[in-house]
Amino acid sequence: MFSSLSRRRVAVLLVLTSLLLITLDRRGNPVINSVRNVFASVLHPFETAADAIAQPITNAFAAVQGYDQLKQENEQLRDQLEAQKGIDAKSMVAILELQELQELNRLLSTSNLPAVTARVVGEAPSNFQNTIEINVGANRGVAVGMPVTNGAGLIGRITKVYSDRSVVILITDPNYNVQTEVLSPLESPGSAVTTTTDPELTPSGISPSDLTSTTTSTTTTTTTTLLDLSATTVPGASGQPVPAEPTGASTSTPSSSPSSSSTTLAAGAEVVRETGVLTGQGSDRPLLFRFIDDSAALKSVKVGARVVTAGGGQSLAPQGLPVGTITLIERQSGSRAPIVEVTPNASLAQLGFVSVVLFVPNPKGN
Amino acid sequence: MRALLAGPVLRLVSVGLVVLSIQRTVAADHPVGGVRVQVVLALVAGAGAGAGSERGAFAGFVLGLMYDLAVGSPLGLTALCYGVAGMVAGYVISITPDPQWWLAMIFVAVGGAIGEAAVPVVRLLTGEAGWVNARMIPIVIVAALSSAVLSPIFVPVGRWCAGARRKKWKAMLE
Repeated sequence: MFSSLSRRRVAVLLVLTSLLLITLDRRGNPVINSVRNVFASVLHPFETAADAIAQPITNAFAAVQGYDQLKQENEQLRDQLEAQKGIDAKSMVAILELQELQELNRLLSTSNLPAVTARVVGEAPSNFQNTIEINVGANRGVAVGMPVTNGAGLIGRITKVYSDRSVVILITDPNYNVQTEVLSPLESPGSAVTTTTDPELTPSGISPSDLTSTTTSTTTTTTTTLLDLSATTVPGASGQPVPAEPTGASTSTPSSSPSSSSTTLAAGAEVVRETGVLTGQGSDRPLLFRFIDDSAALKSVKVGARVVTAGGGQSLAPQGLPVGTITLIERQSGSRAPIVEVTPNASLAQLGFVSVVLFVPNPKGN
Repeated sequence: MRALLAGPVLRLVSVGLVVLSIQRTVAADHPVGGVRVQVVLALVAGAGAGAGSERGAFAGFVLGLMYDLAVGSPLGLTALCYGVAGMVAGYVISITPDPQWWLAMIFVAVGGAIGEAAVPVVRLLTGEAGWVNARMIPIVIVAALSSAVLSPIFVPVGRWCAGARRKKWKAMLE
């Protein structure tokens, strides 16, 4: 066969066939989807075998190589656990207050949505694809489009579902987009903000943006919210430091260093919401936020502001899921839109367990 | 056609399943400098360097299709890139029918680099912007180096998969 085809013919045949297949797949061909499912089933035993063979060798190598580091990390984690107990107690108080408020307002809460806990069983083998694979699928009610979170906030969206596993596109993938809103504290003489520093504060817990989002409804691009959350701690959760704004009410906390700070909000502080679209820029790079209305947004949004999902009828995520913190605002010359970078709350490189929020507002969406 | 299915395709699919499972487990979980080593691409380049451009392109196409099916990338995208990688690596056979190990290694590295660099470019052409950036440089370098390192294993394996035989030289009788 090969001797009868010249090199040029092989190249042309290869390119044309590939382009045809790409076109068919892009348009959503059911045959290709079926073949993909069958191939995944065929490959699964090979992967399990490869994992079973490689895992003990990897574990032994890692144990020998990283013993000292693990011991040190274990001690640090014990310290953090002690500190976390105190934060958990404070968080519980905040949750109870929130539930009372929700009961009063009869608003939808993201915490009330059913969720399925899943284990991350694989990462994308390609360098040009930010996805993970989790061990729950259609048999647990997971569907394409559902948001995926971890303790720190939104991490991605389900893109492919098999019977017992699913593929999640991470928020850092350039193909990922989600409608979000920036929560910025409105500076007013009446809103007292106090900042405290706790050297043993650990990066986890409940984001206040999660809490505040339930007390408002966003029907326009910009709305203001009256907060009534006294003494709410604001822990950061990412592995990257975030510059803190002294006057910011919803200040995120640096978490890579042992010391971190938390900000408490006084009753009556106002929050401005700016809606936009968040897009990934690839792994190890911050997310890019695009405002729907640049002119209005730039006045209120500052570095350190929290970003949460906006929700809405067409959105693939419910309102109020924490996503990240604004770490850079670069104003552009002329009429060009500003560059607003958002550092995700979740540390996407170290995902172990995640939650799939069983939320499908638009069943036809994908 | 029957000979094709019984020969290269069957070999490529069977070896490809093993290498693909290694790619999705060991290589995916142990990145080198934040870059995932592309074992399948190394096999494709090895097949090209061992069996020539045409067979290398065919091996790249088949293994690329398997990769697309497994990973969930658009079907044909990786097949196209890996086909190019196999074809480029196979040019070594045009220079000499029985290349020395180091020469094959160089062409495998070049094929691996071009195959990996082609992925974001083809993604860009199909409407997936955002991957063509400075991060490509370390990715392409790691792909080239890893392909070169794996070439002593993958050139003979790839040659066998692609259904080619190594040339045997006989001394001329005087």
